[in-house]
Formats: sequence, structure tokens, C-alpha cells
Amino acid sequence: MSPPRTRESRDHQDHRQAPREEEALEKWDWHCPETRRLLEDAFFREENCIRQGSEECQKFWTFFERLQKFQNLKTSRKEEKESGHPKHSVPALADLPHTYDPRYRINLSVLGPDMRDSRGPGRHLPPERVSEFRRALLHYLDFGQKQAFGRLARLQRERAALPIAQYGSRILKTLREHQVVVVAGDTGCGKSTQVPQYLLAAGFSHVACTQPRRIACISLAKRVGFESLSQYGSQVGYQIRFESTRSAATKIVFLTVGLLLRQIQREPNLPQYEVLIVDEVHERHLHNDFLLGVLRRLLPKRPDLKVILMSATINICLFSSYFSNAPVVQVPGRLFPITVVYQPQEAEPATSKSEKLDPRPFLRVLEAIDNKYPPEERGDLLVFLSGMAEISAVLEAAQTYASHTQRWVVLPLHSALSVADQDKVFDVAPPGVRKCILSTNIAETSVTIDGIRFVVDSGKVKEMSYDPQAKLQRLQEFWISQASAEQRKGRAGRTGPGVCFRLYAESDYDAFAPYPVPEIRRVALDALVLQMKSMNVGDPRTFPFIEPPPPASLETAILYLRDQGALDSSEALTPIGSLLAQLPVDVVIGKMLILGSMFSLAEPVLTIAAALSVQSPFTRSAQSSPECVAARRPLESDQGDPFTLFNVFNSWVQVKSERSRNSRKWCRRRGIEEHRLYEMANLRRQFKELLEDHGLLAGAQATKAEDSYSRLQQRRERRALYQLKRQHEEGEGRRRKVLRLQEEQAGCSSDEDGAGPASRSSADSVDIQDVKFKLRHNLEQLQEAASSAQDLTRDQMALLRLVLGRGLYPQLAIPDAFNSGRKDSDQIFHTQAKQGTVLHPTCVFSSSPEVLHTREPEARGCEGSREDKDKMSSKHQLLTFVSLLETNKPYLVNCVRIPALQSLLLFSRSLDTNGDCSRLVADGWLELQLADSESAVRLLAASLRLRERWESALDRQLAHQAQRQRKLEEEEENETLPISPKEVAALSRDLLQFMASKVPYSLRRLTGLETQNLYVGPQTITAAPNLPGLFGSSTLSPHPTKGGYTVTDFLTYNCLTSDTDLYSDCLRTFWTCPHCGLHMPFTPLERITHENTCPKALQDGPPGTEEDASEPLQKASALQRPYHCEHCQKDFLFTPTEVLRHRKQHL
Amino acid sequence: MVSEAERHPLGVFECELCALTAPYSYVGQKPPDTQSVVLLEESYVMKDPFTSDKAGFLILGSCCSLCGRLVCVGPECSLFYSKRFCLPCVQKNISAFPQEIRQDLEKRKVLSKRPSSQPSSQ
Repeated sequence: MSPPRTRESRDHQDHRQAPREEEALEKWDWHCPETRRLLEDAFFREENCIRQGSEECQKFWTFFERLQKFQNLKTSRKEEKESGHPKHSVPALADLPHTYDPRYRINLSVLGPDMRDSRGPGRHLPPERVSEFRRALLHYLDFGQKQAFGRLARLQRERAALPIAQYGSRILKTLREHQVVVVAGDTGCGKSTQVPQYLLAAGFSHVACTQPRRIACISLAKRVGFESLSQYGSQVGYQIRFESTRSAATKIVFLTVGLLLRQIQREPNLPQYEVLIVDEVHERHLHNDFLLGVLRRLLPKRPDLKVILMSATINICLFSSYFSNAPVVQVPGRLFPITVVYQPQEAEPATSKSEKLDPRPFLRVLEAIDNKYPPEERGDLLVFLSGMAEISAVLEAAQTYASHTQRWVVLPLHSALSVADQDKVFDVAPPGVRKCILSTNIAETSVTIDGIRFVVDSGKVKEMSYDPQAKLQRLQEFWISQASAEQRKGRAGRTGPGVCFRLYAESDYDAFAPYPVPEIRRVALDALVLQMKSMNVGDPRTFPFIEPPPPASLETAILYLRDQGALDSSEALTPIGSLLAQLPVDVVIGKMLILGSMFSLAEPVLTIAAALSVQSPFTRSAQSSPECVAARRPLESDQGDPFTLFNVFNSWVQVKSERSRNSRKWCRRRGIEEHRLYEMANLRRQFKELLEDHGLLAGAQATKAEDSYSRLQQRRERRALYQLKRQHEEGEGRRRKVLRLQEEQAGCSSDEDGAGPASRSSADSVDIQDVKFKLRHNLEQLQEAASSAQDLTRDQMALLRLVLGRGLYPQLAIPDAFNSGRKDSDQIFHTQAKQGTVLHPTCVFSSSPEVLHTREPEARGCEGSREDKDKMSSKHQLLTFVSLLETNKPYLVNCVRIPALQSLLLFSRSLDTNGDCSRLVADGWLELQLADSESAVRLLAASLRLRERWESALDRQLAHQAQRQRKLEEEEENETLPISPKEVAALSRDLLQFMASKVPYSLRRLTGLETQNLYVGPQTITAAPNLPGLFGSSTLSPHPTKGGYTVTDFLTYNCLTSDTDLYSDCLRTFWTCPHCGLHMPFTPLERITHENTCPKALQDGPPGTEEDASEPLQKASALQRPYHCEHCQKDFLFTPTEVLRHRKQHL
Repeated sequence: MVSEAERHPLGVFECELCALTAPYSYVGQKPPDTQSVVLLEESYVMKDPFTSDKAGFLILGSCCSLCGRLVCVGPECSLFYSKRFCLPCVQKNISAFPQEIRQDLEKRKVLSKRPSSQPSSQ
């Protein structure tokens, strides 16, 4: 080989350099920065393997110093042995160098600057030193090669040692022969990381692997990318709600089940994949179950599509038989033996109120471990508890114990912790100290912690259950299933033999259900049904689920979607429904977005919708800190929680844009989990894009023309941010901190501010969240939106409340009649299905409930209050809420207050009236009694018209948008016009006026007995009263069940039973018309009809009411109608009053 | 960013002794994307998968200069002493190598005889 030779000669040349440089050599100092810079200039330039100033460069100098020390020790022995080697007979061996030198073992060489070039960067350097440097560099590069190759080899050894490694070819073979394969293996067998790689190695290049959790998508993509040696490439990517690393080169993508379903929604045959891996099917998540059903139908249509179902060894035959007995490849897990110790808790005499979990049994286990196992024997403890309250109960006690013994670091682990705090469970405890991790079932499957030797299983889990009747989510404690118990136990045997302490009896275990209840049986199915409708999978009731949901849940969901206007009466998707199906949010929040964008309130509604879709950013512990509470106060809005969240987000954006780095501190001081705000920002952006995609929001305007300087500046900033991000990512792998013993105190209250671990990490690193945030979002735009929020006019705010109210309807609660006499914390509210709900402690109304009370200053002259009837007020309010959650009590979550009468008139799905409309019943449970039937009728009539206008505006908006969408695809002509801004403005003005109208009334919840006897029932009279003056031009027909007359699909006139109603038609009092001076007895209804038709009144304009004069109440011409009397067989042109009067003659 | 290895997956390198496999993107003495490094043997090279640096490369192996077997650079399979030699060839011709290398091999033998540690976690 020739190249080595030339290298050698060159080096030798260097050695024979002129002696006149000895002087320079004497003074030579390798540590001198100037010297180093010269060498770096010569060797570490742009095109070289190490670049000046890089991290690599620093590493080199460290290496260099070590090498020098090492060589100084050795130099003395050098050159000793000049062993007379016999020339070897094999030619390849004959020319081996005779004198050993470590550099002959290095298979590469470095080209340096040419020393003879007097202008080159190396011209000031003595060649002796240069060659010394070069040698060091060679060793450094060789060292790097050995290290990297070592990693590569280790990686392959580890992969080959996984239990699944022996099954790789069998899985591939089975997959070639069948369309569906079930791979069953317990945790630790390596299926999630290896199966995708086997597929990749076998040449598949369009592989999707679904995961139930977003976190798993990211970590698996990272791991598989690393193992398949394309960590820095794009072969392996992930795709989750806010992030995607997917590109054209991606061969395997890890994605959430929800996202895959959306892809199927778009392309039902899923043409972009050839293999689909559905991981963790045994967890039986709602979406996973649905996906299986969709796949079962899809498979015959895509015979080339392969599906691998991956499951723990739980209930495998269920999956296999669902896919016509698909073959199963079962892989044994790699578990060390685990000793199970049953320690049933004898029913101890209830300690105090026994609300709180007794931590003693858990402490006994800690003690037992301390007594039995010497501290040198490592191994941590993982405790499974049912929920956060239980964790904090044990945490407190365990920490006290730990501070005595100095042998434990106690750490909580649950999903509400910040990511940084969650990560702490992966840190290592100092020698002689064990970690004690108190976890919810998150550590059962989602989070895997190495080094666990002991497991304590409480046998309990808190799970959401769903009550379809009350539409109530309930967080309840249950016994776990046998499958979960085994899973928990298995966590002790991942790294060595382990012990599992079960705090229940073996007989309890035997009585556990074999498997957990699948999610589809315990959650609300609204979103699922909506998605099913939009995917055209047919009637949800007959969909072939792997295990069908309870029929009652399905019916409730369908009914709910109909109530919400997402489905029509034939259960087909409405335009609003199909839009809602594409928004990955709760139906109510989706509605808010659509409504808000119509009223040009998109920006604030986007923020509020995002805020309502993430967990509350308010930390629990801050609730008890007066400073936090005080610091939060200026952000609170007495309109309701969504507005408080709105303020929090906007202020946070302001803080970020002003003094960027302080946002973390700002949040801590207020007891706000910043992570949630980042989530809000992400979600907000996604909503915005969705609205833009659907034409509900004008696309991003072209950015303002900026001068080139600021553009340059921006680009520079972005580049700096990218660099920070990259540095952070590269540094990530190395961090595994050692936990400090003293830290537990801070560890427990980590979400409090102060010198907790959060501040520790802030000191030593950049705020990577902040960097990512700035890269992802246009801060300027956000800030604009945030500051415009402060400029929202009162009208806009009122409109916003209206939008929220309509979006959240029918999630309403009425304050209990006696609330004003109760303590702040004892305020009670009733929903239609659930009595006695309470406010969440973080709710703004729980600290200032007086804003909900009707005690009003009488100064504002409302005529009705003269009557002074009990609880008559024009200020009754209702709460709308986002969700109802029952833990130890039923809580209303995220409440907004709205004016009762106006909201019910505008939103109710069912409104029933008595004869003079002074008594109204909304949705069959809220009764409104108006003091004055005249204003009642007037309001009712106004609400009818507003609802119609609003509805048609919305329909047109959606129809226009749908048409636009279609037009993009197939060039369609003649589109419906969108509603004009003028129309919207007029509608909003009228809506606001309506909301502001002041009419005294009483409000109460009907009792059960009353609701049963609410309606008069079908009547024998068939002739409809024609009251167009009241209810527009619609003809009235008798209501088949309620009695009275159907006016619109929601309004039924005169169907309420009541003593007075029986006579209402004949109760007349003398009245003088202020316009024409007519003086005669009238019923209230007749009086209004007269007023509406009185020719004088029309000249004068509408009578002075609270309503805007510019809004004509009724048109005179519309009032007189042809009337054919069946009794006298004559035709008339009558106003409604005249009709009534005429008809009475025949009675 | 599309890495070198992905752009030109020339084939899969497989060591004839230990069966280690890895995709290589270059064979020769002048790894792409670096100008200052020259390899002293015809090597199978991939982009260093453990660094984001485009210039990073990883030498996987080369042919034994005696028997011509393709071997990886792992110390269990081959060594470099101005040329590549697979360990079986080194053993056969051990006398041709300087004492330092012989000592080295001895040391390695002792090390590899030690029982391998318990299974590592993934």
C-alpha cells in the first residue's frame, strides 16, 4: 500500500527539522491560548473533521493533555528495544515495521497544513511541535473511532440478546404468509423496538407503528432511530399532534392511534402504508378498539396491507379470533424470579374520618426492606397507589421516615407533574440510598424505570368512569385486575430477582377481574360517534367492535350530538357536525371555535378553546400559598374561569415577549405550571390552522414588509435558537443526575416555587421549552393577539360570553336558592341530572360567589321590582361549565356565568310556555316566571327572530365554506354567498341588545313531581290559534304529546299546566291603548297583538320598551291573515286577536 | 437532513468472523465530507451514526491483508499494524509481530475468558 509510506516519510521529515528552532521549543507552552489558536487555525478549519471552537475541539484539548501526561511517563522506556527481527517469509508480513510504535496501529492519517508554504496558517509553528500535535490528533481520531465502533458493536450485542431476537425471522415468515399476525410478549421482550427494525431490515419501507401515547411515539422513534443507526437521519420518525419529524425519506413512523384514524378519515384505504403495527392492543384504549374495527373492514379491500398486532400476553385469543384466527407469535418475556408477599391490611379501626389513605402499611414495607437488605445491595422501590391524593399522603409520611434513616429518596410520579419532575425518577440515588417512587398506574406500562427491585402494590386504581345519564365523569377507586397486578409485579424483575409486596390477600387477588374494563365501556362516546359518522362506517350501533360499548352510552352520545346540532334527526352529519369531526377537541369547544370565528372573535376564542382543552395550569399546592393566590388575583376574571385562563395566557405571552427569560419565574410565582401554557400555545396554533384550512379564518396575512435589517436580525435570532436546541438535544443523553438526599423536601413540593429542583435546573441550562416555543410560534403574532385581547370592548366581551354560552350549552347549572346565605365554600349548584354539585376550589366563583347572587342595587329602575315578589330580579344568572367531574364530590369545572333568561331563550332545545307566555319552562327543568307577560311575549318573539337569524347566518357560513372546499377539488360554479360583515355586525348588535334587556323574573328548578305533571297533554281542539303577530309567519299545529301548539322545533306554546292558565284566555282587564285610545278588556296576549297591529302605534314607532327602537318588532302587513272559519264557512282578513274573538262567538 | 448513509446505502457490511452487520456508504481511503483525513487501508465506511456532524464517519472494517477475509475493526476480530490482519491470521503468524502486540493479545484473551455479565436492560 502506498499512502502509508508517503505519510511516514513526511513524519520523518518533520523530525529532522533544523536545530535553530530549539529556542522556540524551550519556550513552547501547550497551554498558551495563542499557541492553541495557531494550531487550530492550521488544523481545525471549516473543511476539517474538527472545527475550531466546537465542542469537539474542546474535547480534543482535554484528550491532548491526558495524552501528554501519559506519554511523559512512557518516554524514558522508548527506543530501548531495537529487536533484531528476522525477515518474514510471507511478503505481507515482511515489511511490517520493526520498531514498534503505537502510531502503526492507527489506520488513518491526517493531512495538515503544508509547512513549506510560507503563507499558510502553520508558518509560525515549529515543525517539531506540529508533528507532536499531529500525532495527538491521530490518537484522538483513532480513539473516537474505537469508541464509536464499540458502541455499534455493543448495540448489536444487546439487540441480539433480547428475547425477541430469536423470533424475528419467524415473525417475518408468518407475516409473509398471513395478513394479520399477533405478536404477544411481555414487557421487556423488546417487541416495540425490534419488530419495526426487522421490517426495515426485511426491506419494508412504509411502516406505521401506532402507540396509545404521544410520549411513547417520541421515545420509540428516538430509540429505534438510534438502534437502526439513523439517529441523525430521517428513516425513523414520529408524528404526534404538534410535532412531526416525518419526511419523504421516513420508512418507519411512530404515530398516535388518533392520528392514524384521522389519516384513514382522509384516505380510507390508507394507501401510504404497507405494514401497520398496532402496539399495546391489550390496553384496550377507545381509539385502539375502534381502529381494530376499522382495520377488520379495511383488510379485504387492501389485501396487500399487512397488520401486526402487538400485545402483552393478555387475552391474546380475543385479538386472534377477532381477525379470523390470526396466527400468534408468542415471545417469552425476560423476567427474573419475583417473590410475591401478600400483606393484607386487616381492616384497621377507621382512623379519624378515614378520608385519607393510611400510610402505615407502606412505611412498614420501607422498614422491612431496611431491616432485611443491606444498603450496599442496590435496588429501588416502586409503590403503586391509586391517585395523586394517595401519593401525597404516603409521600409525607415516607419523607419523614426517610429523613430519619437517611436511606431513602422519595419521589412522586404522576401525569400532572411537570416533565422535569417526572424525569427525576430516572436519576440515580447516591450509594447506600434507595429511591422510593410513589406512582399511579402510569408506571405500570407507560413509564419504565430501571433498577427496580421492590414493588409495593396497593391493589387499587382510580379510573374515570362515565355516567351516561348524568353526563358525569367520575374518578373512582377500583380494585385492579389480575392482569394489572401481574404487570405491576413484573416491574420488580426487570434487572434482577425482585420482591413484590401485595397489600391485599391472595383471596382478593383471585377475586379480581381477569382484565381491566376496556375504555369503551367507561367513557363518553360523543367524540367516537362523531368520528364514526364522519368516517362513514355506518350505524355505530351495528359497528363490529371487538367488544361492543354499552348501548346506553351510544344512545346518549347520539342524542347529545343531535342536541348539539352535529347530527340531524336522521342521525346524519350536519355541516357543523362534519366540521366538528375534524377538530380534535370536545364538541362544545369545537362549537365555540366555529361560533367565535363567525363573529370575528377568532383570536380570543382560539385562546379560550385551547385553554379549556388542556389540564388546568394552576398547581394544587399554590392554592395554600397566600403569595401565589395574591399574585394570581389580578389575572382572575369575575366572568368565569375561561376568562381567567384567557388572562393568564395573554399575560404570559406578554411576559415572554418582553423579558423572555423570566416567564418561568413569572409562572412559578403565580403557581402556574408553565408546561400547560406551552401546550395551550401549541393547541391554539393547531386550532388556528384548522380554522384557516376550513376557510373559517382568513389565512395568515402576508407578513408586513420589513426592512432588510430586521429580517436579517430575525434570521440571526432563529439560527441562534436552532443552535441552542441542537446543543440541548446533543447534551440530553448524558444527563443522569445523582439525586441528593437533602433534596426530598424540595422534591415533594416541587411545584412550589423557591429553591426547588426546577430552579436548580434553570441555573445550569437554557430554558429549552422557551427556545422551542420561540422556534415554533411567531411570538409577534401571539403578542398582537394578546394585546388586542386587552382592547376588547365591553360589547366584544359580552359577545364572547354569548359564544361560550352557546358553545357550552346545555351544560348548565343553577345556583341553589339559598346560596346567598351560605358560606363561600358551601355554594351549591344543580344541573339537570345532578343535584348538589360544587365549585372547584380553583374556580373564581368559589372565592367570590357574590357575583352570582341576585342581590342588586335597586337604583337601576326596573319596573317589575315594584311588585316586590319573592326573588324577582332581572339579574338571575346560570353557570355554564365545561365538564362535570366527580371525585370525592361532584365538581363543576371551568364555569362561566351567563344571564339566565336571555340565555335560555336563545339556547334552549325546548321551551314551553303558558297561555300568556309569562311562565316559561326551559328544557323541562328550569322555570322562569316573568312579572309582566307583555315583556315576556316581546322577549320571546325577539329571541325567536334572533335565533333564526343566527342559525341561518351560521348555516350559510358553513355551507359557503363547504362549497369552497368542494370547489377547490372539482371547480364548482354558483356558490352561496358568505354572510356579509354588515349582517354579522347587525346580528351581533341585536344579540347584545337582547342580552342587555332587563326584565324582572324569578328562576327556579322544577321538582321531580312538577316535571312529571308539566304538560296539559294532547287536546281535542284541532284548530290552531293563528298568532303570527307573536311568532312570525309559521302556522301552528298542536303538539302531539305536550299539548298546546308547536311554534318551532323548540318552542311549544301554551302547553304548560297551571291553575291560572286554565282561565288565562278569559282573564281580561280593562286597558287603554296609548296610541289609538281604544279602551276595552284585553288578555295580555290580545293586548300585545293589538299593540302590534294598532295603526297609530305603527306611525308612532314601536312602544317604548327596553328594546332598541331601530329594531322593528313586527310588520303590520304580516299580521292580518286570511282566516277561514269552519263554523260559519266564511273567509276573513283577521289579525290574531280578531280571530280569537271571532272564534269565541261560536263557543 | 438526509445523512450520507441514507443517501448512498451501497450495501450491508458483514464481518466474516463475528457477523456484525451495518450499512456502509463508502469503500475506499478517502471518506466523503472530510478533506483532512486519509485512511491507510481500503475501508468500509459509514457516516458516524452517533453524531450529527456531517463530517463524522465510522470505519467498519476492511479485508485481512493475509487471507482477504472481510473483517470488522473490533478487537475480537482484527487488528491493524500498518495493515489489517484478522486475528486468526495474527495467531497463525504471531512471531511476525512485535512483542507489544503479542502482549496485547494475551491480555485480551484473559479478559474475554471472564464470564459475561448478566443480561443488560434494553
